[in-house]
Amino acid sequence: MSGMLGSYLMLAAILFCLGLYGALTKRSAVIVLLSIELMLNAVNLNLIAFSKYGVVPGLKGQIFSLFNMTIAAAEAAVGIAILIALYRNKGTANVDEFNEMKR
Amino acid sequence: MFDFSFQLTGEYVAFFILAVCIIAGAVLMISFNKVIHMVVSLAFAFIGLAGMYVLLNAEFLAFVQVLIYAGAISILMIFGIMMTKHDQVDEDVRRPWHEGIVAVGCLALFGILFYAIRSTTFPTANWTPPKDNTLEIGKLLYTEHVIPFELMSVLLTVAFIGAIVLAKREAD
Amino acid sequence: MESVYSQYAWVVPIFPMLAFLVLTALGRQMKEVGVWISIVCTFASFIYALLIFIERVGSNVEDYTKGMDWIRFGGVHLSVGFEVTNLNALMLVIVTFVSLLVNIYSRGYMKGDERITVFFAYVSLFTFSMLGLVISSNMLELYIFWELVGVCSFLLVGFWYQKPAAKAAAKKAFIVTRIGDVGLFIAILLLYVYMPEHALDFASIHNVFTQPDALAAAGIGAGVTTLIGILIFVGAIGKSGQFPLHTWLPDAMEGPTPISALIHAATMVAAGVYLVARTFDVFHASPDAMQVVAYVGGFTAIFAATIGIAQNDIKRILAYSTVSQLGYMMMAIGVGSVTAGMFHLFTHAFFKALLFLGAGSVIHMIHQQDIHQMGGLGKKMKVTAWTFGIGALALSGIPPFSGFWSKDAVLAAAWEGHKGLFVVGIIAAFFTAFYMSRLFFLVFTGKPVTAAKDVHESPPTMTIPLVILAVLAVVSGFVYTPFNSWFGTWLEGTETVEHANYAVMAISTIVGLLGIGLGWLIYRKHAISSEAIAGKLPWLTKLLANKYYIDELYHAIIVTPLRAIGGALAAFDQWVIDGIVRGVASLTLLTGRASTRMQNGQVQTYGLITLLGCVLLIVAIVGRRLW
Repeated sequence: MSGMLGSYLMLAAILFCLGLYGALTKRSAVIVLLSIELMLNAVNLNLIAFSKYGVVPGLKGQIFSLFNMTIAAAEAAVGIAILIALYRNKGTANVDEFNEMKR
Repeated sequence: MFDFSFQLTGEYVAFFILAVCIIAGAVLMISFNKVIHMVVSLAFAFIGLAGMYVLLNAEFLAFVQVLIYAGAISILMIFGIMMTKHDQVDEDVRRPWHEGIVAVGCLALFGILFYAIRSTTFPTANWTPPKDNTLEIGKLLYTEHVIPFELMSVLLTVAFIGAIVLAKREAD
Repeated sequence: MESVYSQYAWVVPIFPMLAFLVLTALGRQMKEVGVWISIVCTFASFIYALLIFIERVGSNVEDYTKGMDWIRFGGVHLSVGFEVTNLNALMLVIVTFVSLLVNIYSRGYMKGDERITVFFAYVSLFTFSMLGLVISSNMLELYIFWELVGVCSFLLVGFWYQKPAAKAAAKKAFIVTRIGDVGLFIAILLLYVYMPEHALDFASIHNVFTQPDALAAAGIGAGVTTLIGILIFVGAIGKSGQFPLHTWLPDAMEGPTPISALIHAATMVAAGVYLVARTFDVFHASPDAMQVVAYVGGFTAIFAATIGIAQNDIKRILAYSTVSQLGYMMMAIGVGSVTAGMFHLFTHAFFKALLFLGAGSVIHMIHQQDIHQMGGLGKKMKVTAWTFGIGALALSGIPPFSGFWSKDAVLAAAWEGHKGLFVVGIIAAFFTAFYMSRLFFLVFTGKPVTAAKDVHESPPTMTIPLVILAVLAVVSGFVYTPFNSWFGTWLEGTETVEHANYAVMAISTIVGLLGIGLGWLIYRKHAISSEAIAGKLPWLTKLLANKYYIDELYHAIIVTPLRAIGGALAAFDQWVIDGIVRGVASLTLLTGRASTRMQNGQVQTYGLITLLGCVLLIVAIVGRRLW
């Protein structure tokens, strides 16, 4: 069933690239965060696909993606918190108006 | 090398339908104008991904996926949108060069990945998935991976406290 | 007999050197005193040179050589030193004497010039260099002074550097003589390579080249000998203004007239003749080289004489006459008579210096160099006219003036075996007499021109040297006549059998008188119209007036192509090399600007760059494996 593995990987690649495009083009910080979640999901999909069809199948891949999800959740929480703090200071939530790194 | 022949199995049909759903959700996320629509379409994609996990014999993860992504994170984002008083509409393109280059870069990356996946033959091994996926994961988490698991709970706590501190009004 | 004065011959060049140093260091503060310093120092040199000369004349004195190691590397010694022989004792006297007279003369001629002390400093430096050249004991030392002399010539020709013509002439003099210098330098290198123990001193050269055994032992074949001889002669061609490198000498007349007398008539241009005479052994060993010297000399003699006929600038006529006379000297040496060549050099130094100083006296008065603008000056400037006349007669080879005897010696030498050259010499003598009479009659006789109204005689400081030189121009010939071969015996060290060749004497006298007579008819009596002759042969007149178009030819075949190449290279440098440099600079600038725009503080731009970087990295690292 190696054909299926390739299909899963291809789907993950598509998702990853779409997420990347969203993360780099969308102006709304919330959507940027969501796009990053999409990329993480693409990675998770890879891990789980390998855990079934890979050369050493087992549950380790699933556990790894479980940890991934946990971290994604934490990241989303902190990201939103930072966003709110920024919004409070700058009065906007558009990514292209944040250029603090220039200084 | 590009072998597109396939057997029309049940898994494949399910995979195909789900893949279409997921990609549709992601593409809609890109093409929608309203922020809230984007979040909803992405949540749709997340649910599709949960379906994928079921196909891959990861029922527990599928459950977690729905819970965390489609549930928690999407709701969190909606809250974020509400709290930052988004001007609802993501305006039209203001940086055509930027978006063009990003598109080219992403396509190039996809091309590389496509080529890599297509030109690789993955060795396979037979594996019968356990009857009770959740039970097995639970066992592994509390035996073999107990230390990362505990670390993860610490991380969650830290993130939770940090988020509160960050989002708290400074005047309070 | 042991020579006493010769042991200290090095003091001769030291005096002018001192004058040069003092004038350079303190010149600005002293105007008149500086001039006197220069004169006194040159006088001291002259006295000492005269002592050496008299001592050597008095009895059969041995040559004196003294040297010391200068540089020593490996087994090679380069030495510096000085050498006194009869030949260079004679040169010492000529140089110091003419230099002294020119110093005295310049005091009047250059009076009132802003930079008179600089002028005298240069003259002193030149005198030092020339004396150093004369007493050098080896080729390398000679070459150093040779170049120093060239530098002085450059400085003095360009002394009035405000005039563009003077600047151009100075550059031309320097560059054209440099072509000859390269030849001399290669000759020295060849000598260095071939001489046993790399000896470059004249004594060794003499020993090797006069003995066929030594020559064979050193592995110097006939071809190499000829090559060395011709290359040395190339150096002499440059310095002595022989064809084809003569073009600088007439242009050098842009310098002050005393300089023309000192450098470009009497001393420096004689350095080439002196060099050939000094290394005569090399030429003697190679008949081919001798032939080249003789024929180049002969050709130059007649070539320059014909140009002299059609010139209108008083100094240029004299310059071409100098070139012509130098050709005579070369021809004499080329046909094997060093004595005749040096004798002609000796007498020529006096009468040509006289002619130049006389011309300077005229120019000083009427500030005009075109002989058609002069006329009738003889009555106003009696001393100048008489002395100039004596000089002209001497140059024309009229007995009993010195020029007759020396020219006769040259022609007699050519008569023996080189009849063709003899004929050339006779024709050149005719032309010489003709253009000198033309010059004399146009300048000093006839109707006074308007410009010559308030003309009076030059001051004594200028006329006294003229008189001294005039006396010498008359008497100096008697040291070596067909009836008295003392000079030849003394110079060559062997008894030369001289038998008077009355045919030669008669021919040269008749030819000289014919030339003068023709000039008299045309320019004094106006019996024959010069315009009529010129009208009959317009192309010839034009050819001569334009100096056979040699300058134009050089300009067309050397200067223009070189300039074109230079222009092309400059364009290459400007557009390609500079273009690359500027391109790199602007590329850097553009990169800088672009990266400044990248650093806009926006996360997404950074992310984009990271993405592109990753893609490039992947392609670069694993790209080949994917294909």
